[in-house]
Amino acid sequence: MTIDRVSGAFLFLLGLFVAWEDRVLPLGTHGRPGPGYFPLLLSALLGILGLLLFLRGRSSRPLRSVRWEEAGHAGAILACTFLATFGIERLGYRITMILILGFLFGVVERLKLWQVFALTIGLSLGSFWVFDSLLRVILPRGGFGF
Amino acid sequence: MGDTFHHLLLGFSTALTATNLFYGFLGCFIGTIVGVLPGVGPLAGISMLLPTTFGLNTTSAIILLAGIYYGAMYGGSTTSILMRIPGEAASVVTCIDGYAMAQKGRAGPALAIAAISSYVAGTLSVVGLMFLAPPLARFALRFGPPEYVSLLVLGLIVLGYMTGGSVIKNLSMIILGLLFGMIGIDQMTGYFRFSYGIVALGDGPGIVPVAVGLFGIAEILATAGLLHRPEVMKPRLKDLIPSRQEFKESWWPMGRGTVLGFLIGIIPGSAHIISTFVSYAMERKISKHPEKFGKGAVEGVAGPESANNAASCGALVPMLALGVPTGGIPAVLLASLMVHGINPGPLFIKEQPVIFWGLVASMYVGNLVLLLLNLPLVGLFVNFLRVPYKILYPTILMFCVVGVYAVNSSMVDVGIMSVMGVLGYILRKFDFETAPVVLGVVLAPIIEVSFRQSLAMSDGRYSIFVQRPVSVVFLASAVVMILLAVKPLIWKKSGFREKLTEAQKGG
Repeated sequence: MTIDRVSGAFLFLLGLFVAWEDRVLPLGTHGRPGPGYFPLLLSALLGILGLLLFLRGRSSRPLRSVRWEEAGHAGAILACTFLATFGIERLGYRITMILILGFLFGVVERLKLWQVFALTIGLSLGSFWVFDSLLRVILPRGGFGF
Repeated sequence: MGDTFHHLLLGFSTALTATNLFYGFLGCFIGTIVGVLPGVGPLAGISMLLPTTFGLNTTSAIILLAGIYYGAMYGGSTTSILMRIPGEAASVVTCIDGYAMAQKGRAGPALAIAAISSYVAGTLSVVGLMFLAPPLARFALRFGPPEYVSLLVLGLIVLGYMTGGSVIKNLSMIILGLLFGMIGIDQMTGYFRFSYGIVALGDGPGIVPVAVGLFGIAEILATAGLLHRPEVMKPRLKDLIPSRQEFKESWWPMGRGTVLGFLIGIIPGSAHIISTFVSYAMERKISKHPEKFGKGAVEGVAGPESANNAASCGALVPMLALGVPTGGIPAVLLASLMVHGINPGPLFIKEQPVIFWGLVASMYVGNLVLLLLNLPLVGLFVNFLRVPYKILYPTILMFCVVGVYAVNSSMVDVGIMSVMGVLGYILRKFDFETAPVVLGVVLAPIIEVSFRQSLAMSDGRYSIFVQRPVSVVFLASAVVMILLAVKPLIWKKSGFREKLTEAQKGG
């Protein structure tokens, strides 16, 4: 299996999925296209391109050539972005950032303890001060008022 | 002509206020840092900092953001010359002869020639922008919805062709972006589409979360576990002055790079990257000593550096005159105008002369600021390269989160950014370009509304697109581009697209 074959198959299926999801939207007529008209057209195009990619994909590089050696690191960073998503309004900006930066500097990158402490506190509180206090970009305080 | 100078005076009276000068300087400074640091491209940089401009008036905001854009073009050459790592993709070619010069002990002159070339090209291409954008906007006032659809179709097909990698993959990324742009409330009927009950998706996924996710987060995910830095050379100020011979050998490449870069910049796609390749190839072709190229030829720095700066200015022509962005960065700049309540399009220059001419004048000032910043302060910027990546990437991640959250004060936007980060990471692994997705998201509402209006005008007949002369020209050009894309499938021959793909992978 090659990367283009996998990608082509995925895009084709995605086109089908969008077309399926589009069924609940009014299509309208050619003279008065409804909200479902253009997405249906796009999903058809995506399906065709996916099919073309699949058919022409035999000569592309094999799927096993895709390297994932940084995946562990990427997973940890990704967990932090999802923590930011769910934590920023519940815990507040500063606490969320202290948790994320502390984790990345201390656990993932294993910096010295004083470096972790200085960078985490400095960046979290410093960025809050710059954005919230100085630039008046309102950042969430969270349930603890911090 | 008199009108232009009258408007330019208005522009300078806007750009030279203390506030706008400050924001212009700040934009250039941040842009240089963004350009210097590998892994933080101008697109992610502008997107992250967009929310900080919400409190500013529109003119100051666009001056700041444009400063980041062309500042990054200046800064990108520093890492190319000193470390052989392009700070951003348009500096890939500078690595070849810039680094070779550095190895010969001529790092200072290479940096100086790169900065002077960028200044000359940046300044001259603003003249081009000044004279070309207003008449183009007047011409575009004749466009109706069918012409707009054809123009956008042409633009997207050219983008698919001119971006490196597979054309089919690029086109599918454009379609994917357009589909992302379908999420939210339909502008013509008020229907909620593909939002699965999430009210915050009513306005769509948003350009900032998509751009920051696909470029900022995806870059961090892909590189955080890998990157290690080689040694950085630190040139001294007194070593910066090029010799008389180096100056003499640079003037013509600078001129040619400027014209070439500006013209290529107007075309959609990776114009700033393509222009550097074309310039480098041209300089080598016409050089009396082609054997010097690759071994530290100063023309190999002057030409491409002029070309990428001129191209970044050329890209602003269709964006400001037509409201049609030609790449990811102009798309984000366009979105920033929209955030500030400005409607981009052919009427923009006429209705917003202070913003347009203020921006033009600020670019003259900004280019001078950048020349002054990049020569004496090069040592300062080099110090940013000494910050270990394990400290840098969590900091960038923090800016991504705060930048995205601040746009709408919405955690859903942070979620979209995270999802787009994963998508961008996987797409990179499978050799997809992500810039077309961003452009698709920006253009989706314009192209859909124009398309539906065209069909309503013709009572559902698709022939309307070939009945109007301007539309026919655009569609015929699109067909030519498709034929060019199909050609390599019949005749197997390595062309500029293969070289571009290689460069983008390297960048």
